[in-house]
Amino acid sequence: MFINLEEAKKLILEGRILHIAAEESLLNQLPKGKWIAGTTPYFITEQGGITSKDKLFVNEITDAVDFKTAVYDRSNIFDITKDAFANGMTFLVMPFASDVAVFYAKEAPNVDDLFMNPVIGWISGYDLSTGSSAKVYDGVTGTAYGDKAVALHISLPDNKTASIGIVNIFSADNDDAVIEFKEDALSVTKCLVNGKETVFSDYITENKIDTQLPLVADYNGVLINVSIKSVSKENKTVDFYAPVFSGKEYRFARPVDDYAASLAEQLKGHKDVKPVFSCNCILNYLYGNLDGKATPPFAGPVTFGEIAYQLLNQTLVYAELIDK
Amino acid sequence: MELDFKLQKIIKKEAEYKSTNLGLNLLISRLQRRYSLNPSQAELDNCLREIKAFFEKYANIMKKDVDAIEKL
Repeated sequence: MFINLEEAKKLILEGRILHIAAEESLLNQLPKGKWIAGTTPYFITEQGGITSKDKLFVNEITDAVDFKTAVYDRSNIFDITKDAFANGMTFLVMPFASDVAVFYAKEAPNVDDLFMNPVIGWISGYDLSTGSSAKVYDGVTGTAYGDKAVALHISLPDNKTASIGIVNIFSADNDDAVIEFKEDALSVTKCLVNGKETVFSDYITENKIDTQLPLVADYNGVLINVSIKSVSKENKTVDFYAPVFSGKEYRFARPVDDYAASLAEQLKGHKDVKPVFSCNCILNYLYGNLDGKATPPFAGPVTFGEIAYQLLNQTLVYAELIDK
Repeated sequence: MELDFKLQKIIKKEAEYKSTNLGLNLLISRLQRRYSLNPSQAELDNCLREIKAFFEKYANIMKKDVDAIEKL
């Protein structure tokens, strides 16, 4: 629900278990309670995409039978797997470019038992037009952090289980060049293009590749994007918003003529989903010009990275609670 | 035992199984990568243990996947 400050305060004071996304000045005014939050001024509401500094996007987790919040840094972030309730779900919010977010992005896919408990979340951000810093909040203590992750672990009733899904509008052309990397990295100089060592920034420049398109890798039928943050012709480096991994084959995504139409087409297959939480990527919001456009049945914050177990880019992620 | 055998084939990429469950697909992908980096029996046993723990935990919603894998 997309509500004003007074309505959000009321829900907190009523003891509701909440996930909140809003601009920093609003979050700073919230009373302590059973909530976590992250900063963003961008949202896709049921009425459409909007930039707002006077409303908050709030998810109430009505099915939760218990909860706890926790704060993590890079030294203990993967304790989320053991801190989670046996039958539950974890909401995880990390500030953009924070040490813990970078560490999580790189290491999560290698962590044992990561998939034993559903983890969903996002990377908090800020207003790109004014610049600022991303924050996360532990509502139980009322503390804001720019360098730590916060988690809301919820316990579910025995007859319910959490299920996480994604919506990715991108696909890869299997006839296109295969790009591989020799190590797990958020920044690279060289890669292998069809097996031949190549300076990746040169490859992008020479082939006039649209860097609004992500690299796409197949994870057992699930297409996972890695978005390009910057290309430096001078330093011959390419930086990513999520890591590339050795041993994975990547291809650049096919161009998308109309983001909103492509997303709408993808969403047709999800019309029966009843999400308790969803978020979509700032790059989809900007490149796809989603301002004013709704994405039913999904509404939520627009984020600087999405978490569905591991960090994703240019992807809509959602969680629903299903009967066992 | 039949399920163990089929799961081992999936981990070794000798058989393919794609689920509608995001977590299972990402787990299979992770275990395939892990085994490919260290293709030993000990690693295969570790991978098998992890995927079986996943099926055990989510037994109520994984029945269709287990049945389909056994039929591979």
